[in-house]
Parts: sequence; C-alpha cells; structure tokens
Amino acid sequence: MIAEKITYDIFARINRGDNLMHIGTVEAENSELAKVYATFTYDEEDWTEMVVVERNKLNWVKKPDWLFSEKGAEAL
Amino acid sequence: MSVMEQGTHSLIELLETIADNKYVLGDRLVEVGVSGPNLEATLSAIAMAQGELGHARLLYNWCFDLKGVKGKKPDIQAQTGKAFQTAVNVQNWISLIASLYAINAAIDIVFQTVLKTSHSKVASRIQKLVREQHDHIIYAENWAKQLLLDQGAVPYRFQEALREAAEEAKAWLAKVEKSEELKKEGYFPETPSFPEKFEKRLQQLNAEQLVQAK
Repeated sequence: MIAEKITYDIFARINRGDNLMHIGTVEAENSELAKVYATFTYDEEDWTEMVVVERNKLNWVKKPDWLFSEKGAEAL
Repeated sequence: MSVMEQGTHSLIELLETIADNKYVLGDRLVEVGVSGPNLEATLSAIAMAQGELGHARLLYNWCFDLKGVKGKKPDIQAQTGKAFQTAVNVQNWISLIASLYAINAAIDIVFQTVLKTSHSKVASRIQKLVREQHDHIIYAENWAKQLLLDQGAVPYRFQEALREAAEEAKAWLAKVEKSEELKKEGYFPETPSFPEKFEKRLQQLNAEQLVQAK
C-alpha cells in the first residue's frame, strides 16, 4: 500500500465523570479509518466518549528515557 | 390488490432486497474479510459482518411483521434470492470493498430519503441502522481510495470490480425510483433522483467514469 500507517492512541470514558483512560492503539492510514478501527476493535464497553489521537501530535510535558536507551534501544 | 396492499408489497420487496444484500455482505465479510491486508482491517471486517447480519435480521423481521406473521419469527436460513450478483460473487478483498461500498452507498441514499419523509414509524425502525451503516461506508470508502492509489494491477482490478458493483446498484436504484406504489405511500418524493445521487457519491472517489463507461 502507498499510504503509510500512523499510530493512534485511543482514550475513552465509560460513564460521564469517569476518568479518561488510555485503552489501546490502532494503526491506520488516516484519522477517519482510525476512528472506525477504534470503534470496531474496542467495543467491549458502551463508551460515553472515545477519542483517537495521533501519537506524533502528543505534546509531551515530561518524558523519561526509554529503558536501555543508553545502549541504543529506540522507543517503539 | 388494493393500493394499500400494493404499497406494502413494494415495501416488502424493497426491504427484502436490502436485507438480502446485507445478509450476503455479512457472510462475505467473514469469509473474505478474515484474510484482510492488516490486523485492524480484519478485526473491523469481522465486527462489520456482525453489524450487517444484524441489519439483515432487523429488516427480515420487519418484513415478517408486514406480511402479518404472528408470534415467533421464522429462522432465516438463506437470502430470498434478491441479493446483487456482484455481492454473491465476492471472492477477494478487492471485490469485497467494491461491493461493500456500492451496496451500502446505494442503501444509504434510499434510507436517507425515507428518513426525510413523514413516516415516523419507518424512521424509528431504520435510524440506528443508518447510523451504524455510516461507519461501514467510511471504512469501504477509505479502503476504496487506497486501492485506487495502489500499485500494479490493483487500481485497474478495483475499478473493474467497482464498475460492476456500481452498475448493478445503480440499476436497482433506478428500478426503486420508478415504484409508483412507494411514492403513493409517501416513502419517496416524486423525483428522488437516486441514480444521480449515487453517481455523485462515486464522483467523490474520482470514479464517475466507471458508471458511465458502459
């Protein structure tokens, strides 16, 4: 396939007022497909809210070094 | 047969055609979708299969109600023979996406028109179906775009599969549009322009020439 796959993190809330939880990831070619994949893959709950966020768009405030990064290991 | 009975008969015919196509699509989504190109696409195909089969069951049960069947609804063992041939013949990912897109887009056009009429009982039966079907269309549309931009023989083979599926769907839409009984019953306006709306949808895929080719 020509389109590159992008990693999207998925966050969801079961009931109003619940904590927003990180429930998993999907790899998709665009955000439209990411939303559909998230809907169909993570359907174990009747979520009140669900959001997909492109991992590259996360604005990190604090980010530790990855384990074994001093030995050259790269983050996934 | 009275006008009322003719209207009911036409509605049953319409609903059974849609149910048959959804029944076959559900079956094909499991058979072919299980070997999709990646994990997410495969998982979604299986989940969508359940959705399509659920929609088919809802519509078949509605038909049983319209036919006056009382009590427990009969088990559905097979389609009634009205499914599109292109859907029945789906054997690979390319033809699966083509049929999934063409059929659901055509059904969506019909149901969106029905939703705009004043048939509140009908609307309440299909509102959830239309909402769920929207995800199926987005899935098929995005995969269609990817296949059209793929390499080698894939874009051509997909165009051919889509042309065949779209022609059959468009012919069905033209037939539905001519149903005077459904218009008299108020399910559609006088000129619902189904085939035109369908072509417009295909144009969104840069595939308008596919329908017009023949």
